[in-house]
Amino acid sequence: MIKRIPSRYWICQLAGWGIFILTYLFFAFTFDKFTSIFCGRLLVFAGIGFLFSHFMRFIIIKTNILSKKLASQIIFFIIITVIFALVVGCIDLLLTTLLSISNKQERRSPWHYNLLTNALSSFVYLFIWNCIYFIYHYIEKSTRQQVATLKLESLVKELELKTIKSHINPHFIFNALNSIRALVVENPSRAREAITELSNILRSSMRAEKQETVPFQKELKIVEDYLALEHIRFEDRLKVEYEIDQETLLQPVPPMMLQTLVENAIKHGISKQIMGGVVRVVSHINGDHHELVIENTGRLGNTFNPDGFGLASTKSRLHLLFGDQASFTILQASENRVEVKIQLPLHRHSASFETTITR
Amino acid sequence: MIRAIIIDDERLARNELKKLLADFPEVEVIAEAANADEGIEKIDNLQPDLVFLDIQMPGKTGFDMLAELDSVPEIIFTTAYDEYALKAFEVNALDYLLKPIESGRLADAIQKLHLPDESGSGEITAITNRSLLNENDQVFVKDGEKCWFVKLSEIRLFESVGNYARLFFGTNKPLILKSLNALEERLDEKVFFRANRKHIINLRMIEKIEPYFNGGLLIELKGGDKIEVSRRQTVKFKEMMSL
Repeated sequence: MIKRIPSRYWICQLAGWGIFILTYLFFAFTFDKFTSIFCGRLLVFAGIGFLFSHFMRFIIIKTNILSKKLASQIIFFIIITVIFALVVGCIDLLLTTLLSISNKQERRSPWHYNLLTNALSSFVYLFIWNCIYFIYHYIEKSTRQQVATLKLESLVKELELKTIKSHINPHFIFNALNSIRALVVENPSRAREAITELSNILRSSMRAEKQETVPFQKELKIVEDYLALEHIRFEDRLKVEYEIDQETLLQPVPPMMLQTLVENAIKHGISKQIMGGVVRVVSHINGDHHELVIENTGRLGNTFNPDGFGLASTKSRLHLLFGDQASFTILQASENRVEVKIQLPLHRHSASFETTITR
Repeated sequence: MIRAIIIDDERLARNELKKLLADFPEVEVIAEAANADEGIEKIDNLQPDLVFLDIQMPGKTGFDMLAELDSVPEIIFTTAYDEYALKAFEVNALDYLLKPIESGRLADAIQKLHLPDESGSGEITAITNRSLLNENDQVFVKDGEKCWFVKLSEIRLFESVGNYARLFFGTNKPLILKSLNALEERLDEKVFFRANRKHIINLRMIEKIEPYFNGGLLIELKGGDKIEVSRRQTVKFKEMMSL
């Protein structure tokens, strides 16, 4: 495809040399030195400069020097500027002599002196040209890199969210299967229920990867199934209490987050207590927040690490989804009770939210 | 007959294992325990040949429980998922079963047990002196992240380090929270000799004996450790050896 609009390079190239000519003309007029010889020399120099700077660009592109190390780029630019300055100086001298538009001073000086001054002045202009070319590409390259880094970061975020969501404890699955196997003989109908509960949990943990948030009631259903399965395992060592405000059922929550926290309550709380304990799940509206509280019997202990994988991932997940609008706290509420509290921004239009979810 | 105890905090898991073991007439489940403390009590009282042990339990883990026992019976770990925990073992002197347990794997594990062939001999030694450790007894050693099951006969040297004792076996030198004096009381003095204030050596691991200053001895053990025998203990050592 041929470009209809001239490329940015051509605009700059033309504009640059145009400005060069105009500046000289301006000064010539102001200081009243405008002669036909001056004009001819200016046009010759600008013409050669234009052609050779374009030729220089051709070499820069051919050698692919812009993708090399910065140090070798700089050395390359200095060498190429010197060489081109000499060539341009030579040709300029040749043309001005041939067209006999040399000025008085030049006519008096020897040719090698003229060549040197010519080369020096063309060096200055080519140097400026190269600086602009080089800096332009350098800036462009670094912005391109920044964009690439940003893209990478957002990809990492996305992946992080996915792995956090799909994090379901295999220990739990195998323990549940083992309990169910024993139940098959002892209480077949409870075993059948348990299989359904386990399937529900597995299904939602797989589905969770595709959604950013789900209505709270869906999440609650999983937690209920999960705790029912853990109850088979722990029997009377596990007591479960719910305190759910019906208003919160349609509030959007990150999938599998409550589940992970309840799982932690079992793993670090109940399963460490010889006599077992209570897990309490509370969901209510507190001011302009949807507040979730998970309490369990147990102690945070000395080895408690608030940046452990489960908690750190929950925190970063909340942060990724809601920014500063969500909060997460964990504390030893009393002698033998640990409390996790999450505040989520309240979703006012939960009815319309439901329709978008069910669609 | 193999006398076994099942230690697991979940009733259903214990039931399931008992049901599986019903197919193995050579294994008799003599007791069950729901946590580590109950487990220690039952092992001490009943001296089982084999223990099926869950690792994750409330209060203390299976490993913590083993570290508290003076002498450990054969252990088969049962676990739902934490094989990684078992990677801690340097010596593969144990087996583990993943829950839900496969009947075939259970059969393999029971077959692999290195229990004495004549069930009688074990009982006799047990009756003669229960408080004294036999050189064939194994101990469970946990040092930081690493764990070992070691037969006493494999340990060549016990070294006192404050309230701890360092065990030397193979290329390992783990610390255990037991004083050298406490160990000396439990060890069979025919095999384990107190060479000086700081060391107990395994007499079957002696490589070379040389005379040393002040009428003492310098004993070189297999593996190259050199231990000085104090003058007082040299007299005792010579008496024992001349017998």
